Amino acid sequence: MDALPLPSSPFDWGRRIGPRAALVVGFTVLLVIMAVLALDSVRALREIEDTSAQIRHEDLVRERALRKIRSTVYESGNLLHEYSLGDPRQDSRKSYGAQLNDMREHVNDALENCLRGAPANLQDHLGKLAAELDSYWIAAQHTITDESRNQAHLHREALAQRTAVLTIATEVSNINELELQVAELDISKVYARSSHRLQDFSALAIGIGFLLAASTIVYVSRLERHAEEKYHESVRHGRELKELSRRLVDAQEQERHAISRDLHDHVGQSLAALLMDAQSLVDSNTISGPDRATVEKIKALAEECAEEVRNMALLLRPSMLDDLGLVAALEWQGREVSRRSGLIVDVVVDDFADNLSDEQKTCIYRVVQEALHNSAKHANARRVRVSVREVPNHVILSIEDDGIGFDPSRRRGMGILGMHERATRLEGEFVVDSSPGRGTRLRVDLPLTPTVHPGGVSP
Amino acid sequence: MKKLRIILADDHTVVRSGLRALLERHDNFEIVGEAESGRDVVALSASLHPDIVIMDVGMPLLNGIEATAALLKQSPSTRVVILSMYSDESYVMRSLKAGARGYLLKDSAAPDLISAIQAVSNGRSFFSPSIRQLLAEDYVRVLRQKGAVDSYELLSPREREIFQLLAEGKTNKEVAATLFISPYTVETHRGNILEKLGLHSAAELILYAVRKGIIH
Repeated sequence: MDALPLPSSPFDWGRRIGPRAALVVGFTVLLVIMAVLALDSVRALREIEDTSAQIRHEDLVRERALRKIRSTVYESGNLLHEYSLGDPRQDSRKSYGAQLNDMREHVNDALENCLRGAPANLQDHLGKLAAELDSYWIAAQHTITDESRNQAHLHREALAQRTAVLTIATEVSNINELELQVAELDISKVYARSSHRLQDFSALAIGIGFLLAASTIVYVSRLERHAEEKYHESVRHGRELKELSRRLVDAQEQERHAISRDLHDHVGQSLAALLMDAQSLVDSNTISGPDRATVEKIKALAEECAEEVRNMALLLRPSMLDDLGLVAALEWQGREVSRRSGLIVDVVVDDFADNLSDEQKTCIYRVVQEALHNSAKHANARRVRVSVREVPNHVILSIEDDGIGFDPSRRRGMGILGMHERATRLEGEFVVDSSPGRGTRLRVDLPLTPTVHPGGVSP
Repeated sequence: MKKLRIILADDHTVVRSGLRALLERHDNFEIVGEAESGRDVVALSASLHPDIVIMDVGMPLLNGIEATAALLKQSPSTRVVILSMYSDESYVMRSLKAGARGYLLKDSAAPDLISAIQAVSNGRSFFSPSIRQLLAEDYVRVLRQKGAVDSYELLSPREREIFQLLAEGKTNKEVAATLFISPYTVETHRGNILEKLGLHSAAELILYAVRKGIIH
């Protein structure tokens, strides 16, 4: 037959693997978010830094170019002025023209530098500046090349043009500065955006973290509660088991008592009466021959039967325990074992009032019975000493044999367990001291005023 | 001849009727009463002063051994034969200490009952043969196990003679008369005997004698 598949327990899934998997996923997501967040922040910061540096660089370049334009234009003005004051000879005119051309070249280079990468807004103004510059250069050239009579007029015109150029250049410079501010504003916008993103992601991470922490706490406390329940359950089971075993011992003892009494009172007495009646029949001399032989046979059988019943009753519950007390019962037990096994049994009783409760008597008697059985059957002992003595509030039983011994930490048979159980349920102590080759010593220490269990054996 | 007046004490009716059937076959026994408990037999003996009480050990209210001690206080001349389910010496010893002179195993009582009654009425002790055998065996076994010297060997011939007479139930005076010596001498011998044998009472002395097979 096929083995039944193990049923998958929804309890386990719901309670253990489910939450655990959810927690693993949650923590993974949290870690990913935090990693992304960190990378993104680093990237954003670098971007802002780069942009900012670039903008500043461009601005600087432009500013420098504008300054160059301004100073060159200014210089060219001075040149024109110098020219207008000097003699208008052909060669000097040429030299001034060449200088002016050089300046124009420089300014054009600078303007080009300015135009490169300039924002649209600035480009318009730069275009205007270029146009004004062109006009200026033309006017300046005119001043030099024109050999006519109106030097002063031309010079004035060029100067006016220069002023316009310088004005525009200043304007451009202002705009450039404005542009820088705008760019910086942009950067701070980017920064703010990235900062918002950082905040959002952080909030998300914190939220997930909270959720995870909460569910972890819930999960762990549920596990704890579960473990606690299990613990209490096992404690309860232990207690129940103990109670059960106590009741079992009680029930067994009661049962034995009852059966023993029945055997003794009913079967035993009836057999005794039967034997007397049979004897009467024999004594009456009314029967003879085969009938007499039959009656004798009945007598013999009944006697055998009676002895059997007596032995059974004694084994179940020795009547001495009830009739004559513990000491007599222990001495009888010792003699019986000695008679059957050849073991030498010394029963030593000191300062013992023999006023124990029925449960205590039974306990000691049964422990001795079991111990003697073990000594004779398993320990190969030659001699056993059973001692019972009373100290204040305690009765101490000790049983020592000279047998082969055993290792109590390794081997604990039902017999030892039973003795232990009997002693502890009367709140007593049970100690086994033995080792291979060194005999066995058992010790039972019972308090003389124990809690009497309601289910105990009645006397 | 005067009839022996007997009381039967046993809580089991079948046993009492069995005993009655056995005893009524003999003309010299008269059953004067029956009791079902230890208390009953003590009360009955106090009023009837019987010669013999056949006493079961396991009786309600007061067991046979305690009842024996109680009734002998009120009727010292009565002789008690114990009927018991148990052959163990602890019962025999307690019975002897209580003052009983006969101890019969209930199962084997029938054939020996008459002899037991006759023995105790003559002042002697009587034990079921199976008990005598058991006690003797135990005695020998213990001696062998312990490798001890049989203390009986320590007694002088004169002491053994006195020991036997005492074990048969004779008083110091009777022993003195039998041996033609003074009761004080008997008392001295008795003390020595008890000491040599490690005994403490008349009951122990009788039990010892049974173990040694000196009395039957």
